[in-house]
Amino acid sequence: MSLISMEFLLFVIAAVTGYYLIPRRFQWVWLLAFSYIYYVSGGIRVTCFLLFTTVTTYFAGRWMEQASQSMQDKKEEKKRKKQILAGTLILNFGVLGVLKYTNFMLDTISSITGGEFEPLTLLLPLGISFYTFQSMGYLLDVYWGRSQAEHNLFRFALFVSFFPQILQGPIGRFGSLGRQLYASHSLDRKNIEGGFLRILWGYFKKMVIADNAVIFVNAIFDHPDLYDGLGIVGVLAYSIQLYCDFSGGMDVVLGIAKLFGIQLDENFKRPYFAVSITDFWHRWHITLGTWMKDYVFYPVSLSGWMKSFSKFAKKTFGKQTGRTLPICLANLIVFLVVGVWHGAAWKFIIYGLYNGLIIAFSGLMAPSYRKWKKALHISDDSRAFHLFQIFRTFVLVNISWYFDRAGDVKTALLMMKHTLTKFDLRQILEPGIDVGEASGTAYTMIALGVILGGCLLLFLVSVLQERGKDLTELFIRQNWMVKAFVYLCLILALPVFGQPSGEAGGFIYAQF
Amino acid sequence: MEQLLEILEDIQPDADYETCETLIDDGILDSFAILSIVSELQDEFGITITPADIIPENFNSAKALYAMVERLRAE
Repeated sequence: MSLISMEFLLFVIAAVTGYYLIPRRFQWVWLLAFSYIYYVSGGIRVTCFLLFTTVTTYFAGRWMEQASQSMQDKKEEKKRKKQILAGTLILNFGVLGVLKYTNFMLDTISSITGGEFEPLTLLLPLGISFYTFQSMGYLLDVYWGRSQAEHNLFRFALFVSFFPQILQGPIGRFGSLGRQLYASHSLDRKNIEGGFLRILWGYFKKMVIADNAVIFVNAIFDHPDLYDGLGIVGVLAYSIQLYCDFSGGMDVVLGIAKLFGIQLDENFKRPYFAVSITDFWHRWHITLGTWMKDYVFYPVSLSGWMKSFSKFAKKTFGKQTGRTLPICLANLIVFLVVGVWHGAAWKFIIYGLYNGLIIAFSGLMAPSYRKWKKALHISDDSRAFHLFQIFRTFVLVNISWYFDRAGDVKTALLMMKHTLTKFDLRQILEPGIDVGEASGTAYTMIALGVILGGCLLLFLVSVLQERGKDLTELFIRQNWMVKAFVYLCLILALPVFGQPSGEAGGFIYAQF
Repeated sequence: MEQLLEILEDIQPDADYETCETLIDDGILDSFAILSIVSELQDEFGITITPADIIPENFNSAKALYAMVERLRAE
């Protein structure tokens, strides 16, 4: 059931209406029922994988709790919990790995050995990366004592399957999400009005901006030889498409959750205003970043072998560099995982390592940067320096988008070369070149105007939010005529300026 | 406490560690700084810090950090 369909809209209306009509103690049961109806509508067979993760993680949590309560010997207890944790992690990440990466591994092996490769047809359950990460996060929290194990299997099943977020996140934490899912909620006008506004804003970003931008992106990236002068247009359009597609999807998801009175974690905070790549990852796909930080970066950095490396590095390179080097190595490992998470292809591995290397380099150079800035009298508060940092980061991010979107590494590098050597904006205006033909949607100047107009509106909203203005709160305070006008404008913009969803396709991150 | 303040000043000089109680919440210490502090604390005080200890409550102020060090030394 696509998020952009009348079917889904009716499904949400039914879910929300019933949620507030039934006795409050059954609200979480109602959400669980709707979550499973939603997931099963995607296929019975894929639901088995969801059930597998739910059941194995639930029992692993309970066994760990029992080990803590029944075993007197702390060492034995730790050992037992570690075994349970390791077994469950291997099982669940094993399923994810086999389903997602088998073809990539076989392809790589056959290209090394020179053999023939026939891709296997494997099921890929919807949202498997998201619900697996969320569940394994819960288990690690129980292991470290940050969360209590959930005693009710059905309540836990809701935490894993909550329907608005299961397809593309945000990746929730049991501590905050679980508590909200199981609590009872009464109908709150602010939640309904704010949630509805956010849903419409999300659809606007997706259908009006992203789905118009995709026309240019597909034409240019899928035909790099034909549009070799438009590399810069392609990558800028992709940066718009990706942001509006993913963050628009998140707006819809967070808006729907808000209708139930549930506040999911924010996944985006105006990432293109970031002043460094580190800052970018604090603003882009935030819940994946914090998941990686808490469950990969810190554990890897504090592992025994990393401590040994740290001692060696301090002896060899001195205190400061020796202290930072192991952190840089752990950071590279994290971004390698981030790259692999994005897809089974070398271009994603390069995409991850590219980000990791920049952050590691910045970490190593931080003391030098501080000295240089002091010597040159550059203040972090300077407006000009701030704008320079934003521009520099935007350029670095766009370089990574070439790898993310291009068909393969070779094409990405060729397109980057053409961007610098063959820039020719006239290609977009020349009669006879139909930029949109490749995606099956005719390119018009209107599409270009819609993207620019949409981006201008998005920019203005983002600037206000960046300055700390709560626009939803401001909206709620308006009289009904203003609210009706805003709702109407957003609703009308979707069919008038948006591309039909069949042409542009679903959300990019729903494939993960 | 003085030893701890010296470590903090050395790793991230631009913060007022005497009064600030939102080192994590306000993003003054990022993950690189946190791990640098952890590395130094482990070396200086002979303690073992695990991922379970890396929570904002333990890193939001010099006072909280000191309390964590004292707790881990006693264990």
